[in-house]
Amino acid sequence: MKRILVLLLCIMLLISSCAKNNQDKKATITIWHDKEDSVVAILEEALSPMKDEIDIVFEKKSSLTESLKLVGNDIKNAPDMFIFAHDKIGVYAEMGILAPITDFVSKEELGKNIPLTVEAGLYKGTNYQMPLYYETLLFLYNKKYMKEQDIPSTTEELYSYMQKKTKYGHYGFVEQHSTPYYAAGWIHGFGADLTDKEGNPLLATADMKKALSYHKKFVSLMPGETEYATVNTLFLEGMAHSTMNGPWFISAVRNAGIDVGVAPMPIVDETALPISPYCGIQGIHVLKAHANEKKDEITKVLRALQNANLEISLALATGCAPALSECYEDERIRSSEVVMAMKDTASKAMPMPNMPELDVLWSVMGNLLTDINMRNVDVETACSNAQEKALDLIKAMR
Amino acid sequence: MMKKNNMRAYLVSAPAMIFIGLIVIFPIIYTFFISFTNMNTYHWFNYDFVGLKNYQNALLVFDSGFLNAILYTVLWTAVNMIMQLIIAFVIASFLNIEGLKLRRLYKTLLMFPWAMPGYISILIWKTGMFNSSFGLLNQWLGTSIRWLSSDLGATICCTVVNLWLALPFMIMIMDGGLKSIDKSLYESATIDGAGCIRKAVSITIPCLKPIIGPAVVITVFTTFKTFDVIYLLTQQVGSQTGARIHTIITYTYENAFITNNYGYSSAISIIIFILLILFYEMTNRRSKLC
Repeated sequence: MKRILVLLLCIMLLISSCAKNNQDKKATITIWHDKEDSVVAILEEALSPMKDEIDIVFEKKSSLTESLKLVGNDIKNAPDMFIFAHDKIGVYAEMGILAPITDFVSKEELGKNIPLTVEAGLYKGTNYQMPLYYETLLFLYNKKYMKEQDIPSTTEELYSYMQKKTKYGHYGFVEQHSTPYYAAGWIHGFGADLTDKEGNPLLATADMKKALSYHKKFVSLMPGETEYATVNTLFLEGMAHSTMNGPWFISAVRNAGIDVGVAPMPIVDETALPISPYCGIQGIHVLKAHANEKKDEITKVLRALQNANLEISLALATGCAPALSECYEDERIRSSEVVMAMKDTASKAMPMPNMPELDVLWSVMGNLLTDINMRNVDVETACSNAQEKALDLIKAMR
Repeated sequence: MMKKNNMRAYLVSAPAMIFIGLIVIFPIIYTFFISFTNMNTYHWFNYDFVGLKNYQNALLVFDSGFLNAILYTVLWTAVNMIMQLIIAFVIASFLNIEGLKLRRLYKTLLMFPWAMPGYISILIWKTGMFNSSFGLLNQWLGTSIRWLSSDLGATICCTVVNLWLALPFMIMIMDGGLKSIDKSLYESATIDGAGCIRKAVSITIPCLKPIIGPAVVITVFTTFKTFDVIYLLTQQVGSQTGARIHTIITYTYENAFITNNYGYSSAISIIIFILLILFYEMTNRRSKLC
């Protein structure tokens, strides 16, 4: 009897271990991200029908870019995919850790997205990103102070408003004036840019100097500090009447009880071009490390993510604009003031460059803006010095 | 027998030595190795040996800006060190006054800055104290001064924050040192008619010297390679204040490390490492002479 029992137990153990082995065969797809919990919950929900087939694990990384540099091609530690803005594509493509996205989804499938969002993922002719949503800066105003007739349609109107309202601790308009991402809108409004398509710096062009000189006039009517916390707090405390900020800021503004409005970016009087901030496209990228081994599973995940309902949910949760064109036929999107304003602003915005040289230029440009706006260095001298510094650093980089 | 004992000592300390080797020695050796390669964005995994090329390029960073940074660093270290010693000595002496009530509470409060992560302390000082719109300093004074906008203003603010962060360590060492001084020395001095200053100069300071010596060397070394206080208060990307002050570490960070050229940055790190070792040796010799 004992022997039979032992034999039965052995058989059961064998069966259960076989079952476990079968279970273990289920592929796992690991996706790194740096997004809020609400965004991940929507993504998990959209991918839940695949859970019997594929284990999808979202891992939040606070220093995602640095982690990818360290383990991007390490088969043991690299994730299969990651969600991030498109501006790091150049760095990772040059490092050789990215797989072309067209190895998994066809160009026709990508073509369902707004062209701007697809073009942003291109680096040296290869597309490395499947876009999910995009974001840019918006002109936000506090309806309590800035009435309909006060909304500036041009930069000179904005300046007059600032002159009238900047007093007694109140500011007509605030922005992170010496941060390149925020100042870029003004630079583009003069037809200038930080870099050309090859990554060469353009910090001392005539248009750049004109833009920075003109921008300084506005800076003189803004607070001394330029950092995120001061600018945001001034608006949240009702001490700033208008600002430039991203969709991520709107929920905090509403929670602060501010009746916020979104208006088109003012047009620069001198050039007739609008202030055109950078546009960031958030999308999913595939790493080479597991691209061949898990090609089918990765393809399935990518196809499941290219879903209009998912992107609509993401847009409504984040205030960002969906990448898929068909989303804009949906009534919920069409009636969202923020998303539609985002789409409108983004149509005039410039996608952030994605070449590796940008890493260096952010720093040089930050110093240039600080020199002009906060140290009162002459624009001509500051621009020439910055151009020289950028060339040196890019040379060192290469 | 002696040999056997030695063997046993090595065996017992081996795990700790291996651990130290892994976290201290290995990164230095690896950095040294990378400094001879062209490891950068364009050759991340397929890097090659390039000999001394990175060292040749690295020397270009040591321009007039770097020399200014060295001068600033030496001045910064000297000012901070002197102030730390004076303030810590005064506070520790107060803590050792006989019959002082709530002594333990004061000590706990004085240790508080040490318990807080430096990064958080620095940012609280930046936004909570020095911010021109919301900072306590301007609220108290009824002004709207931009404390961190000029080089001098920023240096003073950075020194205050550095003292706040570093004083607990020095106070603790001084307090321990003061407690270890034989009370009979003071009693004899009192009988001889010595006053407070005479006692401090002739008894306290000479007795403290050998005790605080190592702490001074450690603090000089730490202050010399300051990065966080100056970078976070004045140069953080997106929240620069207008001040352009640089220690050697912040200068090399701005001029090399942002390039993602690890070979080049490693060469600079090794040169700075050698400079720091030389500085340490100089300080160490001087403290031995004292």
